[in-house]
Amino acid sequence: MTVLLLLPALLLMGLVFVWPMLRYGWLSFHADSVLTGLNPVANGGANWIRLLDDQRFWQDTLQTTRFAGVSVGLEMVLALAIALLLDQRWRGRGVVRALALLPWALPTTMMALGWRWIFNTPYGPLERLAEVVGLGPLNLLSTPASTWLVTVLADVWKTTPFIALLLLAGLQTIPEDLYSAFRLEGGRPNQALMSITLPLLMPYVLIALLFRGAQAFGVFDLIQVLTGGGPAGSTESVALYAYLNAMRFLDFGYSATVMLAGFLLLTLAVLVLAMLLRLGGLIRPVQS
Amino acid sequence: MNRRFVPWISLLLLWSLLPMLWQLISSLSTAEALVDGSIPFLKRWTLVHYQELWASDPPFWRYLLNSAVVSGLTTLITLVLAIPAAYGLARLPQQLRQLLRWITAGAALFPYVLLFLALLELARRFSLGNNLIALAMPYAGLAMPLALLLLTSAFEGLPRELEDAARLEGLSLWQRLRWVLVPLLAPATASTAILVFLFAWNEYPIALTWLSRDDLLTLPVAMARIAGSSIYSIPYGAYAAATVLGSIPLLLLVLICQRQIVSGLTNGAIKG
Amino acid sequence: MLHLNGLGKRFGDQWILRDLNLQVREGECVALLGPSGCGKSTALRLIAGLERQDEGSIELDGARLDTIPAERRRIAMVFQSYALFPHLSVRENLNLGLKIRGVAPTQRQQRINSVLDTVRLKEMADRRPQQLSGGQRQRVALARALLRDPRVYLLDEPMSNLDAQLRDELRPELRQLILQGSQPVVYVTHDQQEAMALANRIAVLKGGRIEQIGTPEELYKTPASCFVASFIGRPQINLLNVDQQLTIGIRPEDLHFDVDGMPCRLISREWQGASQLLLLDSPRGALRMLCSGDAALGESLSVSWPTRAEHRFDASSGRRLAG
Repeated sequence: MTVLLLLPALLLMGLVFVWPMLRYGWLSFHADSVLTGLNPVANGGANWIRLLDDQRFWQDTLQTTRFAGVSVGLEMVLALAIALLLDQRWRGRGVVRALALLPWALPTTMMALGWRWIFNTPYGPLERLAEVVGLGPLNLLSTPASTWLVTVLADVWKTTPFIALLLLAGLQTIPEDLYSAFRLEGGRPNQALMSITLPLLMPYVLIALLFRGAQAFGVFDLIQVLTGGGPAGSTESVALYAYLNAMRFLDFGYSATVMLAGFLLLTLAVLVLAMLLRLGGLIRPVQS
Repeated sequence: MNRRFVPWISLLLLWSLLPMLWQLISSLSTAEALVDGSIPFLKRWTLVHYQELWASDPPFWRYLLNSAVVSGLTTLITLVLAIPAAYGLARLPQQLRQLLRWITAGAALFPYVLLFLALLELARRFSLGNNLIALAMPYAGLAMPLALLLLTSAFEGLPRELEDAARLEGLSLWQRLRWVLVPLLAPATASTAILVFLFAWNEYPIALTWLSRDDLLTLPVAMARIAGSSIYSIPYGAYAAATVLGSIPLLLLVLICQRQIVSGLTNGAIKG
Repeated sequence: MLHLNGLGKRFGDQWILRDLNLQVREGECVALLGPSGCGKSTALRLIAGLERQDEGSIELDGARLDTIPAERRRIAMVFQSYALFPHLSVRENLNLGLKIRGVAPTQRQQRINSVLDTVRLKEMADRRPQQLSGGQRQRVALARALLRDPRVYLLDEPMSNLDAQLRDELRPELRQLILQGSQPVVYVTHDQQEAMALANRIAVLKGGRIEQIGTPEELYKTPASCFVASFIGRPQINLLNVDQQLTIGIRPEDLHFDVDGMPCRLISREWQGASQLLLLDSPRGALRMLCSGDAALGESLSVSWPTRAEHRFDASSGRRLAG
């Protein structure tokens, strides 16, 4: 009887998560593009061989990993600061918390053009501010290095509130008494941070890292609208590349290959990370 | 105590709100004011951008409506499927439950953009494209892990003896869910509903590939399309106005429901 | 008449209950007494149908009970936590079951009001459980059980969340409302005093099996094992090892001062008003003794006991020796 209750939900989940992976597996061993009249034709491992040599794919993987790493790293630090701030007691805390949450609620694509305008040369507010201050034209969206930073900024702006809330939840599980006892032992506030807060917060930090890291690797919305992958493909993400292969080049077989490869690489990274963390004693094995 | 936080609080608020405020200011600025900082203050303002939006084809509110329809439907389907499933999960023996929890957590981590191609194929094969109702199905599937995690832990939080007492009173399974268990779950259900709604509203890649008709676009897709078409042209004011209008429903939702959102995320965190 | 035949329940590899045989007659109250984890609550849940047994069967009035799902067994259970629905008022709590079972609205009103009068909670009818005291919540739970008009009453440590004074007050109410009916009652408790006060017969459980069943008097006067002897009677019986084969038990209340008796040293005493509990150090080990509250206590005390008050047990198995 219980099984009946679970079935519809699990079936839907299976359809949405499992089927695509299976399909990609199959599709990646077929050529399915304009050249084959949009019909899948088995071609052995040709797509995979092509992938191994595909500079663009590996470059994108590197860029995406770098993006995810820096982005999530910054978000962590910022979110921790915000969480610590919101954990203190002061009037209006609830209102500020709600306002700080707003960036997260907005669709990425919506703010993306907003950011393009803010960084626009020569009319954007940042550019004009730079003029006034005498820093000269910044042209932040024209060079790969600075454009990349802009994407990181946009991503950090949007998702930091979410992580801050997660960390705040973690902070609130730490009993007040621990801090009192620490003070009585002669500890100072900044020591408390290192000795009590951070260690106890570790599980939450790790979960947030894992969660956000995986999500950031799949970045698509932001890149497509903010930079379109430019300039010169320097901000292109793996997901965007897969999308272009499918929708622009109409090469479905290869697109599937790219996505499956991306997924496998991500899974590998997550597993390795998890294993390292467990070995390092930072994750305790799950008790039932 | 209050004093020394003020600079930090201000910083936080500036950081969070400035970009949005800038959109607001831009949307109310004349096209000339947008490019020329020297125009006197009083001459900078106009409502023309909003008027343009209202008169556009399709009208802007259409996108809001589409998003509302899809998000609402998604939330409904997700809850209808997830509540019984969560009940079932909460009743499973420990090992099985732990396993399913890991699987569900894994699914929740998944960058779902990677799913778009296979889902697009399904849409084409079964003619599900350009259909707002059909779109709710993959959305519900994608939102299911989150809903299951939150609702299962909520069910587990209910005292076991309550259901026992209800059984002895003669209530069948559906009666127990209807009269006792689901009412007690109301706060968790509310949080889940809002988080699912937000997810569906903000989703982009699937909507992008499933919807092509102008009048059926959801908000994120519509915004991207507008952005794509007007990169180098200066009618940025119109886009800013669109952003403002598009943001308002979400901002209201978050401000009103922030407690539920926070508790939902909090519980999710603690469970994770 | 409720029959439990060879009931057994396993959790993984461990048997929580094994070979449980019990009969409860109409109007009889049998207490399941034992330490935590001895399986008594499990037995109750099996009777209620909240769990399925792994061995054995349950019969009520000659017909198989365990083949019927819990919802339809017409059994009422009062839970340790009372299990009142927190989102409903007292009245709605009582109304829910009746409504689901198809009782007509006017009938429902009538019966609910009547039972509210019986438990004296009329004024609290529209309050939520959180707004009630422990004793009041228990009475709502009782009311709900009464409304069920059940064939069997099951009580799972209904008073363990109440303080001693409340328990004293509620015991007679409990007796009058439930125990004096014609339905069999199974009462689970770890408090032997409660069991002795309320039950017609007591079944002492240990490790999932019944050590002894009998009237309170039988258990008190002729305990079948050391375990039963230790469990029944407060203060606890003194158990002295005589040699490899014999252990004797003396109840503290059977000890008396005797000039010719065993010399003892007083370690501590607890004065209880009408009586006092003494802890003595004797050549045969530590002894608990109950004596009058007025008794004068000297430096050295000599105690002894009548031989007929001795309980004799086998030293290794703990079982009572004949004779």
